Amino acid sequence: MAEPELLLDSNIRLWVVLPIVFITFLVGVIRHYVSILLQSDKKLTLEQVSDSQVLIRSRVLRENGKYIPKQSFLMRKFFFNNQEDGFFKKTKRKVVPPSPMTDPSMLTDMMKGNVTNVLPMILIGGWINWTFSGFVTTKVPFPLTLRFKPMLQQGIELLSLDASWVSSASWYFLNVFGLRSMYSLILGQDNGADQSRIMQEQMSGAAMAMPADTNKAFKAEWEALELTDHQWALENVEEDLMSKDLDLSGIEKDILITD
Amino acid sequence: MMKIKMRDKLRKWREENFRNSEQIVDVGEELINEHASKLGDDIWIIYEQVMIAALDCSRDDLAWSCLQELKRQFPDSHRVKRLAGMRLEALERYEDANKLYDSILQDDPTNTAARKRKISILRAQGKSSEAIRELNEYLEQFVGDQEAWHELSELYINEHDYAKAAFCLEELMMTNPHNHLYCEQYGEVKYTQGGLENLELARKYFAQALKLNNRNMRALFGLYMSASHVAASPKVSAKVKKDNVKYAAWAASQISRAYQVRRVREENVKCSAHGITKAVYTVAMVHNVNIIHL
Repeated sequence: MAEPELLLDSNIRLWVVLPIVFITFLVGVIRHYVSILLQSDKKLTLEQVSDSQVLIRSRVLRENGKYIPKQSFLMRKFFFNNQEDGFFKKTKRKVVPPSPMTDPSMLTDMMKGNVTNVLPMILIGGWINWTFSGFVTTKVPFPLTLRFKPMLQQGIELLSLDASWVSSASWYFLNVFGLRSMYSLILGQDNGADQSRIMQEQMSGAAMAMPADTNKAFKAEWEALELTDHQWALENVEEDLMSKDLDLSGIEKDILITD
Repeated sequence: MMKIKMRDKLRKWREENFRNSEQIVDVGEELINEHASKLGDDIWIIYEQVMIAALDCSRDDLAWSCLQELKRQFPDSHRVKRLAGMRLEALERYEDANKLYDSILQDDPTNTAARKRKISILRAQGKSSEAIRELNEYLEQFVGDQEAWHELSELYINEHDYAKAAFCLEELMMTNPHNHLYCEQYGEVKYTQGGLENLELARKYFAQALKLNNRNMRALFGLYMSASHVAASPKVSAKVKKDNVKYAAWAASQISRAYQVRRVREENVKCSAHGITKAVYTVAMVHNVNIIHL
């Protein structure tokens, strides 16, 4: 239904749209620095470090085992996968699922996460709603149905107004998500101001249980290693090498250090 | 020019792990004395770098002043404690250094730097078998530490335990498959172990090292030596002998090419290319060479 376009006061652009952008951006930057300050040190146990390195070694054996002689590869495979006392068969780690109630550090982490992210969003959203209320701020470029009206047009009591016209609160939320890419430009990847990433983490974190991982990881490595075969990469190396003359450019300079 | 260039040079040396300690001390000392205020937070890592270089050059005064600055800024840091321990090692006060490292480890059992310093103390005191034992225990926990594997391979070579040195080098080759130096060292260890199988393996790994880096002269000579030894062995079949003679001849021709390329650029080369070529072909012709290892 074609409607006459509303002409908004340009003061709105100057005093509402731009200030909201600045406020959102600055709040995001402040959140980033606050999260850095409040970060607690994660202490790893010796066992965890050791296990992660063993897993890496096993993976390297699978991927690059073809560069060492067959005998050596078999020796290492036997060490890991032997039926009675192979490393992956023998080692069982204690599994303690970290529930928020029993593990105090996780509790404080969760609390800090909430405080730095959710709280400011609610507070500032509410403040903006209260300050910049009663007028239309901007128009979204695509048509929306009437169901969106109460959500996006808080404080504007016009039944006939097209749902594309939105209030300042919705402009604020648009900014919160839209400025994510700006944050990665300015603050670098992995910054504390990235709201949606944190929300994703919270959703997937609930489904994941860390320490059980070690036993499962060991089992997965055992299976993968069983399947690996040794294809010696050096089978025909002499023929490959001698098919053409050596490239001796640069040998006149003393740059080869065989130490 | 000075400040920025000096800082960049120090950074390059730090990132590429150079050990030109005298240069670092010269450049670093000047940088610290003249421009300390303008370096900002970089200064701490420069203090660390210069301190280690000063210990290398026996400049205890410079090392002490760097350590004081670092201690003042980071009073409880394990990293600074490790530097203090290194200074004690340089002064040969090994007992005190050991106590310091033990205190670090009590606080943080996963600290690899302190453990490695303790092992180097054992090595400095000449107790190689203990150093080997400690290093083995360390590697059981931290299997991925390549520096440690390399150190262990060196220790084993010194003790003439070539089989175990080969094991360490295999670990290194797996994690760094494109590093020609590890392949070449492995070939040398296999060659030294001797025996027909090991010589063939050595030949293969010398060839691999050459494939990875065509200019590795040591690998080229190694290829030549191992191929000619296999060819000269009485236990091989005729085909293997023929193949190895071919390999040795190819290696010899490449060696003489290399010397000629070198001679064209450098007129005053000491050994003549002709002399080398002659010697190499002479050895290749002789089949009743006295073989020690076979």
